[in-house]
Amino acid sequence: MNSMTLNKYQLIIMADDKQVVLERILQVTRYRGFLINGMNAEVNTGNNVATITMSVSSERPISLLIDQINKLIDIKGVKVDNSDVQIKQHSA
Amino acid sequence: MTKSKTLTGGALLFEVLQEHGVQHVFGYPGGAIMPIYDALYDSDVKHFLCRHEQGAAFSAVGYARAAGTVGVCLATSGPGATNLITGLADALADSIPVVAITGQVPTAAMGSDAFQEIDIFGLSLACTKHSFQVTDINELEKVLHQAFEIALEGRHGPVLVDIPKDVQLAEVTQRLDKLSHLKNKVKLPLADISKALDLLTHAKQPILYVGGGVGMANAVEEVRDFAEKTGMPSVSTLKGLGAINPDNENHLGMLGMHGTKAANLAVQESDLLVVVGARFDDRVTGKLDEFAPNAKVIHFDIDTAEINKRRDADAAILGDLKGNLPLLTTELNIADWQQKLKQMNTDFAWRYDHPGDNIFAPAVLKTVSDLMPSNTCVTTDVGQHQMWAAQHMTFDDPSNFLTSGGMGTMGFGLPAAIGAQISRPHDTVIAVSGDGSIMMNVQELATIKRYQIPVKVVLIDNAKLGMVRQWQDLFFDGRLSETDLSDNPDFVMLATAFDIKSKLITKKSEVKAAVEEMLDHDGPYLLQVKIDAAENVWPLVPPNTANDKMMESV
Repeated sequence: MNSMTLNKYQLIIMADDKQVVLERILQVTRYRGFLINGMNAEVNTGNNVATITMSVSSERPISLLIDQINKLIDIKGVKVDNSDVQIKQHSA
Repeated sequence: MTKSKTLTGGALLFEVLQEHGVQHVFGYPGGAIMPIYDALYDSDVKHFLCRHEQGAAFSAVGYARAAGTVGVCLATSGPGATNLITGLADALADSIPVVAITGQVPTAAMGSDAFQEIDIFGLSLACTKHSFQVTDINELEKVLHQAFEIALEGRHGPVLVDIPKDVQLAEVTQRLDKLSHLKNKVKLPLADISKALDLLTHAKQPILYVGGGVGMANAVEEVRDFAEKTGMPSVSTLKGLGAINPDNENHLGMLGMHGTKAANLAVQESDLLVVVGARFDDRVTGKLDEFAPNAKVIHFDIDTAEINKRRDADAAILGDLKGNLPLLTTELNIADWQQKLKQMNTDFAWRYDHPGDNIFAPAVLKTVSDLMPSNTCVTTDVGQHQMWAAQHMTFDDPSNFLTSGGMGTMGFGLPAAIGAQISRPHDTVIAVSGDGSIMMNVQELATIKRYQIPVKVVLIDNAKLGMVRQWQDLFFDGRLSETDLSDNPDFVMLATAFDIKSKLITKKSEVKAAVEEMLDHDGPYLLQVKIDAAENVWPLVPPNTANDKMMESV
């Protein structure tokens, strides 16, 4: 039986309210090896800034994902809300 | 007083292109991009009609890489747009600034599965640095400026702008004002120069590991100066070749899967890697856990995401290499290390005394390299010939060796050479290709014919997909699955059909005269070089193996 330790993180992402910004985040998150466990997005219509909260898990360090999301042009900032939750996933 | 004028979206496109200094574009017309091609009719921008959109994308890449500027390509909606994707992916993998313009069906038809409609905006997400879809004519000017800025900002990359047909036709008043700059959102940490200097002064066996970022940072002069003043032995990635002065006696050549024995052994023994514009690519490191196992790492890069991605840095210096590297220049006391590596360079030097009359591909490419004029730009396709070119040819600048590094795209070489030749009409441009690769974009011989582009093609012909055949022989018990190309067309006849002078050589005694004839010819030329199909590229680091456990023969 293989044992795989997944670290679980909650990210808070601030982004310009632009076309496909959610698709960009989803694509990068999947491609860089993170599972999305939950997501919420809201737009402040006053300043056209979207706030996206996203729960992800991966064996990989969260810094790898943060750096890649930060590179997206429409992203204003990314931070980890919590970084100490671990879940264990077992596969045969 | 602010100047302004009214233009269609199509005309505005060419106005903005010219504001960014664009003189040449590569493309192929079609239904949804007709208003742009109509505006081209009145434009001073010179358009090169390629014979496939993939050829247009690679010509734009070659143009950008050879000239150090942005390459531009155009395609229509649907299949025209999807045919650009491989070129854009290639540009993303190798960090090449390209702006791709695609026509789209009218906004009213979008989302209705219209004729030649595809969601290229969605498809572009994984193969561009950024992309836009302009549904409001009033946004077009700003978006086009941003496309150029994004392509060149930080780590370079391709940007796609998708423009529906009605937006191309709509009229708008051009503002002619300066574009607003993108926010510089990446706050670079303070450069860890003092820590890096400490690592450097304590190192006894340092290696300068040079990547493709050096050329793109326009930092060749600074890297050469650093290498000379420190005397630090250096190795290059595939894309870093040409950055170190070819006369530098401490340069060990390319490292990695097909790197030189001296380069790979030196890196494995090093106690410090000074990494400039490189990213610990898997083809470089071999088995990552065993790569340079005793080395500390000083990592210079413009891209935060490359730091600690595959190998932790002991000192990370983010930002402009051109400004940062000179801060680390210091004299080193590494004479014993230098001497040891010079001896390795001598002991493991390439040999060209291949027995028999058959042509030895490394010797052909060495001959081409020795005879070609200075500042010749060489492109390659992908496969054995690519690795032989990297091993046996010498380049005096990274912009003189254009090869598909990250994506490894067969079909790159010929259209990239066309783009390179158009950007540098006074330099010799040579496409080194293979009999498998050249067929991937062979239609671009028609582009060469149409514009009489004097590209020289050296076609290394083993009637095989040689690199795959080599791996099948070495790692798949010689089960040669779908790698035989003995039914290739007659390449001399094929070139002749495109009015391209050509010659076939089969014996090593013919090589020098044939290469001289090719280089002396004023127009395009195809030299078909028949080699032994059983030749392998050596050395070879097998997959998931440390670089010091290379194979040197069967």
